Amino acid sequence: MAMLDRSEWYDLARSTNWSPRYVGESELFPEALADPYRLPEAAWAAYDEPYKVAYREYVQVQREKDAGVYSVKAALGRSKFYDQAGPEWMGILKLHYGAIPLTEYAACALQGQNARFGRAGSMRNMATFGMLDEMRHSQLQLYFPHELLSRDRQFDWAHEAHHTKNWLIIGGRHCFDDVMMTRDAVTNSIMTSLIFETAFTNLQMVGLAADAENVGDFTFANLITSVQSDEARHAQLGMPLVDMMTRHGKKAEAQRAVDISFWRLWRVFAVLTGIPMDYYIPLEKRHMSFKEFMHEWVIKQFDRQLTDLSLERPWYWQHFLDDIEVHHHIQQGGVWSYRPTMWWNPVAGVGPEERAWLDQKYPGWNASFGHYWDTIIDSLLAGREDLTQQKVFPPICNVCQIPIANRPGPPWKARAHQLDFEGRRYHFCTPVCQWIFECEPERYKRHESLVDMLVFGRFNPPTPDTVLKYMGIGVVSEGGRDSNGYQWIETYRGRHGHGPKGHVSPLADCALTPKGNKRLWVLSRFQGDGHVKTVEIDLDFSMDEFARYCAQFSIGHHAKDQPGKTLRVRRTTAKDDAAPFPREMRFGACEPRQMDSFDVYFADLSDRDREP
Amino acid sequence: MANLGILSRFVGDAHIKVVNVDTEMSFAEVAEACKVHSVGLHVPNQPGKTLRVRRTTDDDSAQHFPATMKVKDANLRHLDCLDVYFV
Repeated sequence: MAMLDRSEWYDLARSTNWSPRYVGESELFPEALADPYRLPEAAWAAYDEPYKVAYREYVQVQREKDAGVYSVKAALGRSKFYDQAGPEWMGILKLHYGAIPLTEYAACALQGQNARFGRAGSMRNMATFGMLDEMRHSQLQLYFPHELLSRDRQFDWAHEAHHTKNWLIIGGRHCFDDVMMTRDAVTNSIMTSLIFETAFTNLQMVGLAADAENVGDFTFANLITSVQSDEARHAQLGMPLVDMMTRHGKKAEAQRAVDISFWRLWRVFAVLTGIPMDYYIPLEKRHMSFKEFMHEWVIKQFDRQLTDLSLERPWYWQHFLDDIEVHHHIQQGGVWSYRPTMWWNPVAGVGPEERAWLDQKYPGWNASFGHYWDTIIDSLLAGREDLTQQKVFPPICNVCQIPIANRPGPPWKARAHQLDFEGRRYHFCTPVCQWIFECEPERYKRHESLVDMLVFGRFNPPTPDTVLKYMGIGVVSEGGRDSNGYQWIETYRGRHGHGPKGHVSPLADCALTPKGNKRLWVLSRFQGDGHVKTVEIDLDFSMDEFARYCAQFSIGHHAKDQPGKTLRVRRTTAKDDAAPFPREMRFGACEPRQMDSFDVYFADLSDRDREP
Repeated sequence: MANLGILSRFVGDAHIKVVNVDTEMSFAEVAEACKVHSVGLHVPNQPGKTLRVRRTTDDDSAQHFPATMKVKDANLRHLDCLDVYFV
């Protein structure tokens, strides 16, 4: 039988509708689920999807796409790529697979809502294909990591993460519940299809795909490119709706939906994509910085889209541009510092060459974020890994659910924005998240962040172990640890000047080690040295031995010797006026505590006669 | 004697932290309690300087609490944000 050309039947088929006889229009399409803006019937009748496809064509194309993805996977399955992939790339895969597949599955419900409550037949048609798309995406992105499970149990998070209460997952789920799962068909099409799928999926699917190719993971590159080709189609669901709203006096409402969703999605995807692009991808394989990618692929496109739709840039545009310079950098520090709470092994990514690259891409990085990592590096070099493990929780923003943080170092920008509302105190990372809350407090006010739960006494006992278990750590699999067992720190051992201030490791050139069994870490404040050093002191040392021990880390490095003088030790005080300890006094006799600070300074030999 | 959660905004640290303090503690002790979670982890120590505590304000200009003042006398609320800084 001869087939009709699509153009001969498509318009008739997609606009076929029916008049309900047993229920009213308002029962069939309740406002809260379909259209709270009450766009007129005529507007809905004119809804015109930009991308047209028939079911037969859809199935044919999707079958070819699937065949392509699976055949590449089969062909590359025999390669040794995953045997040889570094911990950085495996970290990216675990992060991606934990965060994405079941979000795609949740999106089936979004598309299902649009397929049922979209008021135009053509919108329902397009959403039905979108629903099938999302199902394919979740299946593919669950199948691929399942094959990796035999290598590493942390890949189990691909299927489990969304069923846990891990705080990073809660952040993502809260965002998508907001923009995708709990609104009407018009608003969620604008927030998700228009804003998320045209702007931010590019980050994950185009940016990471290019990096995957550079690294040599063609299976992953091929997979996410295939996924993105679907997104680009069903992303167009929201565009006609903004146009309809603008034409029918609802431009302000459309603008607000755009502003809220853009910010919410930005906060999540800067973490999911910014961190891997700027810290996890090996330096020689990076094709673009996250910031360059944001400007090229997100901002330019988003700007053009806003103009096309007669909308304005969000009111917080400058906040957003500032956030591109800061947000993912500080969350990278947070992810690494809270590594036991993550489902992958976080990468530090701050070796000397990486830092030079970061400072070039983000001028001023070393002068702020560099200080942050200097402290961590110093602690690790001093053998104090324990100091680098964060033991208390940060407040979590009551909108974006991301720990409240900001640029470290001298600018001291970290600030919690607080609001007392109906007897409860809420915390926000930025004025933008506070604005979102104040737009719809009823929507957000009942949710308790993990830290709210701690404060409200929801954990019993309120210990870190209870919280970790609540997050699924040790339940799905063990939590994260440094990706390469702190080997990266060796690049700093013995280096002079790893930081912006020519900072030197306190133990960098240590040739001597304490001999006794009882030792204590204290701070050496050596006269003339710009840097305080962390030193491990034997409690049986005399004060003279203490002084000589500290001298090896300062004299010749940052302080000059003063021949003819002797070294003395005293406690550090605000006015530098403490009396020196007797030179033969045993160090342990001064009852030092961990990390107490001591001055080591030059004195005339006659000073000995004035000892107390 | 009671526990009070405060937000510690430690000078130079990128992260705000929730720290539990006792209402019988002096502000010198509060400063030390906050210091434990920032110094050596995300900010270096500043030996020879002392720590002060003040309420967080938009312009960082609040008067510091006296070091010997007790938390219970400062009229603090749960999760008030405090600056902890070196002088």
